[in-house]
Amino acid sequence: MAADRMDRSAADLEPALARVLQVGTYVSIALVAVGTVLLLGSGTSPLAGGPALTIGGLVRDIAAARPEGFLWLGILGICATPALRVIGALLGFWRRGERNMVAIALLILGVVSAGVITGLLTG
Amino acid sequence: MTVGLLMLLGGIAAGAFGSILGLGGGLLIVPLLTLGFGLPLREAVAISLVCVIVTSSASAGVYLQRRQANLRLGMVLELFTAAGAIIGGAIAFLIDERLLAGLFALLLVYVAATMLRGLRQREPAPQATDDETPPPPEAAGASDNDLGYLTGRLPVAAVGSVGAGVASALLGIGGGLIKVPLMHLVLGVPLRIATATSNLMIGITASASAIVYLVRGGIDAYVAGPTAIGVFVGATLGSRFGHRIGQRELRVLFVLVLLYTAIEMARRALALD
Repeated sequence: MAADRMDRSAADLEPALARVLQVGTYVSIALVAVGTVLLLGSGTSPLAGGPALTIGGLVRDIAAARPEGFLWLGILGICATPALRVIGALLGFWRRGERNMVAIALLILGVVSAGVITGLLTG
Repeated sequence: MTVGLLMLLGGIAAGAFGSILGLGGGLLIVPLLTLGFGLPLREAVAISLVCVIVTSSASAGVYLQRRQANLRLGMVLELFTAAGAIIGGAIAFLIDERLLAGLFALLLVYVAATMLRGLRQREPAPQATDDETPPPPEAAGASDNDLGYLTGRLPVAAVGSVGAGVASALLGIGGGLIKVPLMHLVLGVPLRIATATSNLMIGITASASAIVYLVRGGIDAYVAGPTAIGVFVGATLGSRFGHRIGQRELRVLFVLVLLYTAIEMARRALALD
């Protein structure tokens, strides 16, 4: 009975997580596409060396229709989409009371956060 | 403009090839950017990881929709692949690029040998690769959505998954080359579900290491943009129209491309270029 309930919960969860992945990917790739069109349209060679990511400059670059703003926002979206799927799974399993899976999801997010810290410490 | 368009076209070719042959784009993007455009290997690996996330997320969405991926098993294993990816991401900045090139050459030779073996068989065997192209809907069935596969085998699954994560981060690949055989041969997961589950895991694995590269300033947005768009378009075209192309001829061509690329990578590893 418990197994039936778990299977039903996963059946509800999977389409929702699929939507998270699809929407995240399409929105991110659309942003990258805008950035790429602006980049190629400006005649700048991609091998010229793109500017580094600065979170503060992101909004300014997008407002000024600079390619790097759209490119960076899209790349951040691409990198964040799988983590959003894990967050979605965490919420889904939490609602269903599957504590073991909630713990696994939290650990995954912890490991991904450790990646940011590792990058900052070793950078 | 010309370089950007060439990058876009190269990305389309890599995405289409990868999709049609059931290989991850990473295997082709790294050589494309290093040998074709002269980028440092580490930078090419970082951009390849971004492209791998794009194709993996798009196809994992389809797999989940069709209930082919084992969500619970995937999440348990991706905990270990993500940990391996962070270790690999950190190691990548410590080791010599020539060693990375040597490892990549070995990977290419391994994949070429696997494909040659498949060519000798009348019916190509299902490949344990970075498959990013979901099979047709009629192949879908109910998902095998439990953790029973891990009973008594968690340690070996964990070690294998960490290894897949390290390989992914070092070489800019999805790591399905390791994950699919691990799940199918060691854990006994049916191949179809193993492939779908591996695809689901690729996203968070590549994302964990891409973040390390991103934070360390290892991703060039100007190169990542046209390449990622190209790979996305190519993978989409490949999955829609790939079945119309003769697989045998394409595989022979691909093996030749892999071997040529392996030689070039080996030359780079030995500092002969």
